[in-house]
Amino acid sequence: MLQLRRTLALLKGETGNQLARTGSSLPFLDSANNSSGLVLQSQSTDVYQNLALEDWIDAHVDLQQRGILLLWRNQPAVVIGRHQNPWSECNLPAMRKMGIALARRRSGGGTVFHDHGNLNLTFFASKKAYDRKRNLKVVTEALRRLRPNLDVRATDRFDILLNGHYKISGTASRLSRKSSYHHCTLLHSADRSALSTVLRPSCPGILSNATPSVPSPVANLIDHAPSLAWEELLEALVQQYNTEFGLSSVFTLVDPSSECVFPGVGNISTELRSWDWTFGRTPKFRVETLLELRDEHLPARCSAQLQMEVKGGQVESCRLDVPAGWLPLWLSRQLSDVLVGERFCPHRAAAAVTAMLRAEKGQFHSRLNNLCEAVLAMMG
Amino acid sequence: MAAYALLRSMSSSFSSVLPLLSRSGSLSPAPLAVKPLFRRTLASSSRFSAALKFTDKHEWVRVEDDGIIGTVGISNFAQEALGDVVYCGLPEVGTQLAQQDEFGALESVKAASELYSPLTGEVVEVNSLLADKPGLVNKSCYKDGWLMKMTIAKPAELDSLMDEAAYERYIRSIED
Repeated sequence: MLQLRRTLALLKGETGNQLARTGSSLPFLDSANNSSGLVLQSQSTDVYQNLALEDWIDAHVDLQQRGILLLWRNQPAVVIGRHQNPWSECNLPAMRKMGIALARRRSGGGTVFHDHGNLNLTFFASKKAYDRKRNLKVVTEALRRLRPNLDVRATDRFDILLNGHYKISGTASRLSRKSSYHHCTLLHSADRSALSTVLRPSCPGILSNATPSVPSPVANLIDHAPSLAWEELLEALVQQYNTEFGLSSVFTLVDPSSECVFPGVGNISTELRSWDWTFGRTPKFRVETLLELRDEHLPARCSAQLQMEVKGGQVESCRLDVPAGWLPLWLSRQLSDVLVGERFCPHRAAAAVTAMLRAEKGQFHSRLNNLCEAVLAMMG
Repeated sequence: MAAYALLRSMSSSFSSVLPLLSRSGSLSPAPLAVKPLFRRTLASSSRFSAALKFTDKHEWVRVEDDGIIGTVGISNFAQEALGDVVYCGLPEVGTQLAQQDEFGALESVKAASELYSPLTGEVVEVNSLLADKPGLVNKSCYKDGWLMKMTIAKPAELDSLMDEAAYERYIRSIED
């Protein structure tokens, strides 16, 4: 009971000096006896810092004798799986307008939307103790204890469904040298309108062997259990984690940006924030699409076919078939050449075509401009 | 299981003679006819034979005939543990790797599993078949499901890897 009251106090933000209380500045690096577990809650809502923390724990903490549960949530962000294509998974222009970040995680799986109403749970364990079913049982049992009438069930794909239909949780994991982590989302009170806006492709006509997402209808827990408070949910999950694994856990708030506690974590989050990781790691893909071109002055229209190969997030080859009557072939070929070697990114491509547009002052300027805009719009 | 693994290590010129062994590892009588040749191969220069060497992360490396290039893949134990591979995340040609560096990941329904380089060297080729057929890693982990080829910058590192008999013992010890 005392443990619960202390945990509740901690969850409400009364941090105190938890690290000192546990008698060590680095409680997670101490080898502990088998009956004590560790539950960490991140104080950060920066998706890159939190993902970096996961990788840091996986690389530096001895998980052979005991596991760790990490609880975290983020400011609005879309998180794609290790081998996914952001242009086919999410609406990049909408995300830019809404200030929603994009992150690629190191685990596999599909694309999810994070915000303050979504709880992330990461179960760290040795490879031998890796057991997603058991971890999800922690979640479903906790929910059933909170609201016995809730129909929540884990599927073969390790989703959790509400009422057999609405996805409230998705799962992904990573196995490394000796250890593993399994993380899952849990939709408590997320912005579903933002979710459905951003989880749509940016670019039409993508052909790729990247791992696809499996779209599902979603629901928030509060849609079906309106009185379920965030703190209540966290407390129940921590308690159920202890029950399931026979532990009495030490609960600690952590600051994932702290180099003192997590030396080297800054380098990991820097890499996760980088264009090279987020976009550059996209598996090679092809775009085949029709561009609708317009000449406002006449007015007239035509269609041009675009074929592009993108490798490492950069245009490797580009073929633009614009009817010769619309634009001279040499001009459309010049545009193709300018794009090759550039990032598949509307900003970079815009910078690259600017010089070309400035040079073309003649009768084709407006049509060339329209073509450039169509290509840039296609890039998300 | 041990016999299956030993036969699999024969040089590539015998691959057409050997039956394409299925995942369950069933053997047909035909390969036994080539057994004497196998013993002769073992007796020759051990570092540059076509024998497989294994890491404790269940990757294998096979030194090619020229002794300069090593082919890298994952073992049968690893592919079974992974389940069906749906994506192979492999490095770019030209990537420099130190022994034990992460060089990519295999994604299966189980998880994204990191791959660790068995040797120090440079990536010279990546198996392009895996882009459309990642399942080759499961079906043919020692042959068509190879992952990458790399230079062997430090041949002495091969001595730190397990030979097949040692690897078999290692697997038995971790299964217990």
